[in-house]
Amino acid sequence: MPDRVELLQGTLDLLILQVLQWGPQHGHGIGQAIRTRSQEVLQIEHGSLYPALHRLEQQGWLASEWKISEANRRARYYRLTPKGRRQLLEEQSRWKQLVRAVARTVKPVKE
Amino acid sequence: MWRFFRKPVGEADLEEELQAHLAIETRQLMERGLTREEAETEARRLFGNQALVLEATREVRGHAGFTRLGQDIRYAARVLRRAPGFTAAAVLSLALGIGATTAVFSIADTIFLRPLPYADGGQLVWLGIRFPGISTEFLPSPDYVAWRRDNQVFQQLAATQTSFSTAMLLGTSDPVEVHAGRVSTNFLDAFAVTPAFGRTFTAQEELPNGPKAVLLMHQFWRDHFHARRDLLGSVISLDGQPYTVAGILPQSFVYPVDVKIDLLTTLPVSPTASHRDRSMSTWAVFGRLKRGVTMAQARADLDKLYAASKADFPQLFRDNHLAFQPLREHRAGNIHTLLFILMGAAACLLAIACANVANLLLARWSARARELAVRAAIGAGRGRLARQLFTEIALLIAAGTVVAMVFVAAALRAFVHFAAGQLPRLSEVSTDFRVFGIALLVSLATALVFGGLPALRAGRIDLQSVLQQAGRGSAAGGHRLMRRVLVALEVALSVILLSGAALLFETLWHMQNDHLGFQPEHVLTVSIPLHGPNGQNPARAELASDVLTWLRRIPGTEAASFTQCTPLVGGVGSRTFSRSDRPLPEPFHRGDNIGYCGTDADYLKAAGAHLVKGRFFRDDDIHHPDTVAVINEAAVRAYFPGEDPIGKQILGSGAVWRTVVGIVADAKNQGLNHEAIPEAFVNQTDDPQATRDLLFLVRTLSDEAAVARALREEMRADHAGLFTKVQTLDDAIGEMTANPRLNTILICTFAAVAFLMAMVGVYGVLAFSVTERSAEIGIRMALGASPRAVIALVVKEGAVLVAAGVFAGVAGALFLTRYLTTLLYGVKPTDPFTYGAVVFGLALAALAASFLPARRAAVLDPVVTLRHE
Repeated sequence: MPDRVELLQGTLDLLILQVLQWGPQHGHGIGQAIRTRSQEVLQIEHGSLYPALHRLEQQGWLASEWKISEANRRARYYRLTPKGRRQLLEEQSRWKQLVRAVARTVKPVKE
Repeated sequence: MWRFFRKPVGEADLEEELQAHLAIETRQLMERGLTREEAETEARRLFGNQALVLEATREVRGHAGFTRLGQDIRYAARVLRRAPGFTAAAVLSLALGIGATTAVFSIADTIFLRPLPYADGGQLVWLGIRFPGISTEFLPSPDYVAWRRDNQVFQQLAATQTSFSTAMLLGTSDPVEVHAGRVSTNFLDAFAVTPAFGRTFTAQEELPNGPKAVLLMHQFWRDHFHARRDLLGSVISLDGQPYTVAGILPQSFVYPVDVKIDLLTTLPVSPTASHRDRSMSTWAVFGRLKRGVTMAQARADLDKLYAASKADFPQLFRDNHLAFQPLREHRAGNIHTLLFILMGAAACLLAIACANVANLLLARWSARARELAVRAAIGAGRGRLARQLFTEIALLIAAGTVVAMVFVAAALRAFVHFAAGQLPRLSEVSTDFRVFGIALLVSLATALVFGGLPALRAGRIDLQSVLQQAGRGSAAGGHRLMRRVLVALEVALSVILLSGAALLFETLWHMQNDHLGFQPEHVLTVSIPLHGPNGQNPARAELASDVLTWLRRIPGTEAASFTQCTPLVGGVGSRTFSRSDRPLPEPFHRGDNIGYCGTDADYLKAAGAHLVKGRFFRDDDIHHPDTVAVINEAAVRAYFPGEDPIGKQILGSGAVWRTVVGIVADAKNQGLNHEAIPEAFVNQTDDPQATRDLLFLVRTLSDEAAVARALREEMRADHAGLFTKVQTLDDAIGEMTANPRLNTILICTFAAVAFLMAMVGVYGVLAFSVTERSAEIGIRMALGASPRAVIALVVKEGAVLVAAGVFAGVAGALFLTRYLTTLLYGVKPTDPFTYGAVVFGLALAALAASFLPARRAAVLDPVVTLRHE
C-alpha cells in the first residue's frame, strides 16, 4: 500500500472541481476518482468530502440533481456550474503559483 | 406553514445521499467477489462514522444567517411542541387577553371616541328638558317652535320623535309594516345630509295640513322598490294616506336614534303651538351650532330660552332642568356603565393573562436552568442562548397574536349579532388595530420582562453553582415569591369578575323567575294597525267585534280580550290620581300618577291575572263604558293606605267618576326589573279618538302561526289587505330581558375564562413546587411522613396562596361592584350569600387544582428522589 498524504488545506475544493469538469458524478464516484487519479496517494475522508460538496453547492459552484446510479438507486449527482468553472480556473492558477512557490522554496540551493 | 416547522428538507436528502454512497461501495465490493453481507460490512467500515459525516455536513448547510434563524425557530418550535401543556396555556392566555381587550375596546372606541358619521359632527348637539318625575328627557313641541324661532346660536334646530319609530302600513297588494322616522323639515340640513336622488323636505311639508312627503332609506328603496329611479315624485300609500316620494337618502346616512328606520316623513310642527293647547308632542331635538359658537355661549342662549318657557307656563317646568350636551356624548348615553364594566373586565382579563404567561415563563425558565447551564457548558455562547430563548417567546407571542386575531373577529361578529338594537352605533364597529397593538405590546412587555430577564441572566449563570444545585432545585428560589404573588393576583382578579358575574346572574334569575303577576305562557297579542283617519270610520267597532268572534272560534282559544294594553305595560297612558272624597289636584300636578288601561271582561282570564278582592268587569259593564274601575295593589298601597278602596269614586271630576269594584294583584307593568306602578283598569275597550291599533289578548292552546293563519283566512273575505301582527307574550318578555341577558353572558364569559386561567395558575405553581421540592419531600417521607401529611403540605401551600388572593379579591369586589348597582335587580351589590358562594366555589376548585400535584407528591418514591440528588 502506498503512503498516504494529508491534504493541504483548501486543496480539496480544487480536486472536486477538477474531477467534475469531465461530467456529473456522485459523491462516491468523486472520492474514487480522486483516489485512482492520485494513484491511491490521496484518500479523501468522507467526513470532509460531503461537507465540502454541500459547501461548494451553497457557494453556487456546484449544482446537484438526483439520478439513478449504477447501483440501481437514487444518488445525488453533482456537476459544475459556469461559476464553478471560473472558480476552477482560478483555483488551478492559484495552485500552480503555490506549487512553484513551494518548489522554489524547498529546492536545494545550488552552490 | 407547518412545513416551516418540520424537519429541514435537506436532512432526509442527506441521509439518502449517504445511503446511496454505501450502496455503490457495496456493489463494487461484491463485484470483487465478496458476499453481500461481507460487502455491506466492509462498505460501512470504509465509510467511517456515518453520524459524524452527517453532523459535519449539516453544520456546513446551517451556516447562512437566515438558515440559522430558521434553525432557531425550528428549535424553539420543537421545544414548545415538546411542552404542549405549557404552550397551549400560554398561547391561549395571550389570545384571550389580547382578543378580549381588543374586542371590547374596539366597541368602546366606536361608541365613545370615533367621530360621528356626519360632516362637522363636532358642531352637533342634543338638547332637551329633563323631567325627573317621569325620568325622561324631551322638548315639548311649543318650546321647540319657540326655541327654533328665537335662538341666536344654531344654524338649524331639528326635531324628531323620541326614541321609537312609528309603525306605518305600506299599502300594496300585500301590506307591509314599515318603520317611519318623523322629523322636522330642516332635519337633513342640520345633519348636513343631502339626498342621493331627489330633494329634501320643503317647509310646507311639516305644517299640520301641508302636503305629505317621504324620503326613503337606501336599503328600503332597494328591498321594496328594486331601486327604481322613476319612483321619485310618485305617490305611495302609508296608513291609507297618499305620500309623495321626494327623494332617496344616501347609503351612508345613519339615523341619529338607534331604532330601525325605513323612511323619513315629517312631524306636524304647528307654528302656533302653545303650552295652552289641549295636547302637545314630546320631541327629541338636535341642533347644529353656528360656526365659532362655543358650548358655553350656546348654553347661555338656551338658558335664556328656557327661562322664557318657564315664565310662560311654570306648572310644566317645576323641578325640571335643561339638558344639553354634544351629540357624541349623548349617543354614548346610558351604556356608559355597561361599557365601563366590560372595559374593566377586559383589562382584568388581560392582567390575568399576562400574569399567567409571566408565571408560566418563570416556572419554565427555572425548570430549564439546568439545561441552559449544560448548554452553556458545552459551548453555546451567551448571545446564542439568549437568542434562542427570545425566539421561543417571539414564537409564543406570534401564535397568541394569530389566535387573538381570529378571536377578535369572531367576538365582534357575535357581539354585533347579540347586541343588535341594544347598543348605539354598532353598525360602525370594526377591529381597532391600535388597541390590538397596545394589548400586544402589553403582553409582549410582560413576556419579555418575565421571560427575558431570566433568559439574559442565563448567559451569566454561574455554571458550577447551578449544576451543583440543580438537583436541589434552589436555583429558582428568587422566582418563587414572584410566582406566588402573580397567582394570588390572578385569584383576586377572578374573584372580582366572578362576584360581578354572580350578581348579574342573580339579577337575570330574578327577572325571569320573580312573580310576574300574570301568566305569559300561551298568550298571544294580535294587533291590527288601524289608526289615523281610516281608523275613525264606523267599521272599526264592527271589525273589532268580528275579530273577537273569529278569535274565539279558532280551536284552542280559551279566552280572547279586546283591550288597550297588555300586562307588560302600565296602561296606555298616565293620569293624575283623583278621588271624589278629596280636593281635586291642581292641573299638571306631578307625582300622583296612575296608569290607566281600558279593557273588557275577558282580560283577567286572557292575561292570567289574579283577582285579589271584589270583582272584575262583567259583560254588561260594556253597555255603559268607562264607569267602573279595577285597580292594582300598588295603587291601593299608594292611594288607599289602610282603607278599603272598593266602592270609592276615582279618576274624574265634577259628577263623572269611576267606581272601584275590584283589586288585582300587581303585574310587572314597568319592565321586569322594576316594581309595579299603580294602575287602573276601566271598562272601556276602544278609545274614543281611535288613535291606536286594535289590540287583542288571546289565551290559546294553539301556536301563534296557526292563529295568525286562521285569522287571515277569516279576514280575507271582508277585510282583504288588512295587516295583522301576532306575537307571543313570551317573545315580548324575551325582548325585555335581552339586554340583561347580554350583560350577564358577557360578564359570565369573562369570569369563566378568568377563573380557568387562575386555576391553571394555581395548578401550575403547585405542580412546579412539587417538582422543585421532590428531594425535600423524599427526605420527609424517608423520615416517616405519611402520604396524608405530604398531601396536607402541598395543599396548605395552595391554600395560603388562594386565601391571600380571595381576601384581596373580596375587598376589591366590595369596592368595585357598587358600580354595578344600576344593572342589578333583586340583589344588593354586597349580597353576602353571593360572595359566600363565589368564595366557596373558588376554594373548592382551588382545592381540586392543588390536589393533583399533592397526589403526585404523595406517591413519590423516596428512594428514587433521593438517588437523584
